[in-house]
Amino acid sequence: MGLFIENYNISGADAVALEDSIMEKGRGVTVGSRILKNFVSPFNATVVDRLLDNGFKIAGRANMDEFGLLKLSRDDDNMPTGAIRAVSDDVAAFSLCNDLFGRYRREATENDCCYIHPTYGTVSRYGLVPLASSMDQIGIVCKDLAQGFGLLSYISGKDPKDGAMFPESTYDYTKPAGEITLGVPKSVIEKADVDTQDAITEFIDGFANTEIDLEHFDLYSRVMYILSSAEISNNLSRYDGIKFGYRASNFSDLEDLYTKTRSEGFGPDAKSAIIMGAMMLSKDQYGAYYERAMKVRRLIKESIKFDRYNVIVLPCNIGDDPYENLSLYALSPLAGLPSVSFSYKGHGIQLIAGVKNEDLLLSTWEVCKA
Amino acid sequence: MPRIEDYETMTKISLTKEERGIVSGHMNMLLDSFKELGDIDVSGVEPLVSVLDITNDMRDDVAIKTLSREELLSNAPEQYDGYFQVPRTVD
Repeated sequence: MGLFIENYNISGADAVALEDSIMEKGRGVTVGSRILKNFVSPFNATVVDRLLDNGFKIAGRANMDEFGLLKLSRDDDNMPTGAIRAVSDDVAAFSLCNDLFGRYRREATENDCCYIHPTYGTVSRYGLVPLASSMDQIGIVCKDLAQGFGLLSYISGKDPKDGAMFPESTYDYTKPAGEITLGVPKSVIEKADVDTQDAITEFIDGFANTEIDLEHFDLYSRVMYILSSAEISNNLSRYDGIKFGYRASNFSDLEDLYTKTRSEGFGPDAKSAIIMGAMMLSKDQYGAYYERAMKVRRLIKESIKFDRYNVIVLPCNIGDDPYENLSLYALSPLAGLPSVSFSYKGHGIQLIAGVKNEDLLLSTWEVCKA
Repeated sequence: MPRIEDYETMTKISLTKEERGIVSGHMNMLLDSFKELGDIDVSGVEPLVSVLDITNDMRDDVAIKTLSREELLSNAPEQYDGYFQVPRTVD
């Protein structure tokens, strides 16, 4: 995977790379898919307006997996995504992207970067190509979490163009966070390799901590896939070759135009997600899968109480299977919780806090860096 | 077992033989993994549609200027006389 789809040759401390899913007026936006071939955005995403209004510059459009989808098939391209490379290679100080399935959160820790996944409903999604709307969330790749939260303070806050946001117009991520007590899901951490377990043990020793049980953890990935594929199937139904994007060149009638356009325009992961999503939503399967998954989503959200603890610690890798690893990354989008991921002594660590409690995440990171 | 071909028709996607093999493999793996959901007691649990406890924030019912006709049509694969152009749909 190349770093940029389009490189503006701008670098420096105020340079921000955009995943190719974020609208920028007058620029091509492909979301890594042929289905948006030749699409040129007629408007700026709200986050782009806010970056430009605050003196930041756009470094270029970073390459991505098609729609940022989970790759279920073996992938021989081991290069990190463009948004990660832009920051790790010091081409840009920050990248913005939509990390639904955890690839950015994992790759950040493997490439000397950090990732901030803000609370759902605090950063506008206006101008982000929709994937799974109940979970889509623009996040930040950075080298230093304090700087990353500095950038977040410029792009977060209520936007009238996004109908699902908290009312606050600004957020202060640097206010004193108070006492931190880490919740340690031992049974999950034990799935990581021994070196990672040792690093996490060392990490939690610097804090008050308590062992917790992440009820339904093994189901997180299942619920996430069912719900996201259903939403993806809906959101990707807009690509029909009529109003924008790719259109097949040879077709016999309107039906044939739709089918050839979508068959030629989407890649295998998008086709898998669309077909699985359609199945999850179909009359015969809805109750067994989609509705049940929405109910389990509630059980998962309500099982995270943040009572004896206020920050959850997780590893960033528990094996080679991306679907099983998804459980590590599904909690934030399923419950709308903020998280950060970073490398500690060479091993990826993820911290998750309660809604709008990003200050706890920054404080925890600052303690471990001290 | 649901037939992939039925969902291809529904989603306006025609898979090649090779793609159908890949999607079928994904589908079998996923459906098998979803069986674990059946063990959870969800009686009396309301589906969670949105994680936000707030309702949709509707703006005032006031007309605003959005994109112009030219801007909206600028990405159309084909247009004619200010409209999106599609193949003949009525004989």
